[in-house]
Amino acid sequence: MNKRISLLGVALMLCGIIPSAAQGILGGHVTGNIQFDGQISHRDTIIGADDVPKKLLSNIRTDILYTNGDFSAGLRYEGYLGPMLGFRPDYEGQGIANYFVSYRTQNFAVTAGHFYEQFGNGMTLRAYEDRYLGIDNALRGINIMYRPFNGVILKGVIGQQRYFWETTGLVRGIDGEVNVNSLVESWKDAKTQLTLGASFVSKYEDNDEIISSGIDGYKLNLPQNVGATAVRMDLSSGGFGLQAEYAHKGQDPNDLNDYIYREGDVLWMSASYSKKGMSANIQAKRVDNMGFRSHRTEKYKEMLFINYTPAISKQHTYAFLSMYPYATQSTGEMGLQGDFMYKFKKETLLGGKYGTDVHINTSLITGLDTTRIGGRGTNGYTSDFFSTGDLYYGDLSVEIAKKLSSKLKLAATYGYVVFNPIIEGHEGDLHHNNVVVADLTWKINKKNSIRFEAEWMGSDSKYDATVDDKRCGDWIMGLVEYNLTSAWFVSLSDQYAYNDGIGNYYNLSVGYTKGATRLQLGYGKQREGIICIGGVCRNVPASNGLTFSLTTSF
Amino acid sequence: MKKIFQLFVSVFVFVSVFAFVSCDKIEEDNYIVYAGAAGKWYDGSGVADKSQRAIIEKYTGVRCVNCPTADEAIGVAVGQYGDKLIAVAIHDSSNFTKPIGDTPRLSTPDGETMSQFFGVRDAGQYPAALVNRASTSTGWDLFTPTEGINSHVDNILSNNATVAVAVDSAVINNNSVDITVNIEFLQPVSDELSLTLMLIEDSLVVTQRLHDGSDNENYVHNHVLRDVITDVWGADIDCTGAAGEKRVALFQYKPESSEWNLRRCHIVAFVSVKNSKQILNVADCHVR
Amino acid sequence: MKKLILSIAIMLICGTVMAQNAKLPENISLKTLDGKTVTSAVLQNDGKPFVISFWATWCKPCNVELNTIRELYEEWQEETGIKIVAVSIDDSRSASKVKPHVDGNGWEYEVYLDQNRDLARAMNVGADVPYTFIINGEGEIVWMHKGYQPGGEDELIEQYRKILKGE
Repeated sequence: MNKRISLLGVALMLCGIIPSAAQGILGGHVTGNIQFDGQISHRDTIIGADDVPKKLLSNIRTDILYTNGDFSAGLRYEGYLGPMLGFRPDYEGQGIANYFVSYRTQNFAVTAGHFYEQFGNGMTLRAYEDRYLGIDNALRGINIMYRPFNGVILKGVIGQQRYFWETTGLVRGIDGEVNVNSLVESWKDAKTQLTLGASFVSKYEDNDEIISSGIDGYKLNLPQNVGATAVRMDLSSGGFGLQAEYAHKGQDPNDLNDYIYREGDVLWMSASYSKKGMSANIQAKRVDNMGFRSHRTEKYKEMLFINYTPAISKQHTYAFLSMYPYATQSTGEMGLQGDFMYKFKKETLLGGKYGTDVHINTSLITGLDTTRIGGRGTNGYTSDFFSTGDLYYGDLSVEIAKKLSSKLKLAATYGYVVFNPIIEGHEGDLHHNNVVVADLTWKINKKNSIRFEAEWMGSDSKYDATVDDKRCGDWIMGLVEYNLTSAWFVSLSDQYAYNDGIGNYYNLSVGYTKGATRLQLGYGKQREGIICIGGVCRNVPASNGLTFSLTTSF
Repeated sequence: MKKIFQLFVSVFVFVSVFAFVSCDKIEEDNYIVYAGAAGKWYDGSGVADKSQRAIIEKYTGVRCVNCPTADEAIGVAVGQYGDKLIAVAIHDSSNFTKPIGDTPRLSTPDGETMSQFFGVRDAGQYPAALVNRASTSTGWDLFTPTEGINSHVDNILSNNATVAVAVDSAVINNNSVDITVNIEFLQPVSDELSLTLMLIEDSLVVTQRLHDGSDNENYVHNHVLRDVITDVWGADIDCTGAAGEKRVALFQYKPESSEWNLRRCHIVAFVSVKNSKQILNVADCHVR
Repeated sequence: MKKLILSIAIMLICGTVMAQNAKLPENISLKTLDGKTVTSAVLQNDGKPFVISFWATWCKPCNVELNTIRELYEEWQEETGIKIVAVSIDDSRSASKVKPHVDGNGWEYEVYLDQNRDLARAMNVGADVPYTFIINGEGEIVWMHKGYQPGGEDELIEQYRKILKGE
């Protein structure tokens, strides 16, 4: 009873009394959004779904933002009354998870409280949130941005990281960025633009914990301050673009690198050329021991990251192409990616009446070529900068999208994926998969449309109960989606392992959208698997049952 | 307003620069540090040499003019008793231990602790010695070890050993030492017992003041206490104390100073009664 | 179950208490495709309404939506003077691909990068894109829509026409 009263009380305070009062007395605007996700799951031994003792699991969040001119303030309520499957149980509970006040003018901004921030590409610092992955490493402290003159931006942060319902660690950082063109009047509107930046981030962590050196009676002498420095550039000239960032991290023995003292670094480069209807992009990356977290002993692999090293493969959207998602191995990897897009114009041989879009992407990621020195309490290993280690992941996808008539649109995709299970932590043979997807949209009239999707995946992997990788084998999938205007949709899909695999995952979803409000209901089976967003991954257990979600903003 | 901003930012940048210059860098030799010798005890295989041995702890100093005489007497006794007598030279923090000229100080904090505990510092008479930390009805059986060493040692060696001790060591990674201590109960012991490990170094050439007041720059100091590896009063021995019980413990030790030459060092291990500090038996070994 | 009902009730209370037209935030930093930093004050259409569409290179419905509108954009612009500002929420995994993606698809929209999702957060765009807004001449958010389904483009232009007429 008490809990309910307090919940109701908090809710009224949050979205009733305080905002109305604030708005009435002070003027300004109150906006916000609400997301509610719920799940009821039952046991299914084949897909490995367990019964949920709580019966109903739900995640709720509400952001309330108050804005009045240059001033803004925000609060976020989060409630995990039985966190959804896949969320860490540590989220259990409810309360105000995030609050801030902020003052922003064009050239100056200061935020106190929780904030999200990124320096450059995030290789030294990225405080961000991904609510579907249950990741929120917001910093709570002070964030300052200052633009002393046009083209120069300075940022400074100091704060502690969110960790479920606590804040912990200590992170400090500064960042500077200069748009070189802005410094000289005659260069301002030049075709060639150059921006340079640099950042420094340091974490402090007490050294009083005793971490065994692997020899009884000894402990590691751990650095209390660990710093990471990065320099970056962004050069663009018409259709050409060149971006690069290099980051280096000092000694940081931690759970991810098994407490070795080797310093870390990452080099990332991207070169592109594009003009209307055509583009090419090549990226290269080398990561070496760059996991930078505010607690060296943190047990959850995805938590408490200070920096972010993006994955260098394409984020696929079709189910079978994304079945083996790749996440950056912050301990070490090398990668190359090529991306090519071309639009055959209307009324040409390959373009036909409406034109044809072709999109080709390929990536190859390997481990580092390392020579071991020792285990914890040593420098760990040496590695040659240019030579590669084991193959981790490779893929190729060719997508052709074509409007067949004013009512029919077809997208056909061929994909090839090779995947080394070692990146998910277990030894095994490489998986080689071929994927074919046909995606057809038929716009019947202004109000009605139907989308059909058929996917096939052929794999050399076979399901083996001892490894229990439910992705193995050959699969087919079908999906039908009916849309009534932009308000309603119903979709029915089934994934079925027809050879060397197990599982039959069917799903029925109904959704309704009106403005910013969206309600979705689903019933069916959800595969156990790794979902990755932006290169960060989380393991989601299988579920079998009902899911519903409501989001709205105001 | 703008000026305030600029001032604010200048201060911020200034503070930041200082805050961020500090970034810890640990030298390779110091990645691993000693966390305290908390050896665990296991069932052991016994001790081959079950003889009773004695340990003479001598409190000395480089400015103590009578100490070389004691060194000589102890040297004679050690030669006479062979491995049955183990000597340790302890330099506490008294004025007698102040280095002469530009020579290293041999004092140790552990030595000072013991010197105070056994009343050597209060008495202020050097040299002073204890054999097996024996006591009389009036207190610690301190004596001047220029004579009478034999009677003290014989007193100990005439007993049948209650517990046998053996110690062995091995140098690992060139910078730390693995120490194995075996004990075997020959008679039942009901007292709580402690094991103390000491690191002692031989052949240290440090200026010593002689009886005639002259300084000998080439004086050789032997069995100088460098460090009590365990806590100064020893580590608890996990045992029942029943006759015939055999226990073994492993310790790892990283010398605190790289100036200590491990090849000239011994490890001394002794079992003592926790409350009375009385030493039941002792063993030593070269660091290899 | 009680908690669930309560939660929904709270949402409804919240939703009804605060329905109004908020302003487009002005001082949020965004990046242009050639690497310059600007603030959200540059988002405007010479006093006329305009559209802001949050999207990402990896978001399939976003690409379908923006590719669909690509075919209609010229027509729409001539008729109404509409302007579409496409704000990418790609993070550093794909942010460097935004310009090639825009050019490769032949989009004529004004494109900005919101890598840290500062603008998206200030405009209550949750975790999902696409998310489309119409901002009127006074800089007020007058319409928003989450997601894209075929036909969504028709609703968008109809809404735009209404707003243009001042309805």
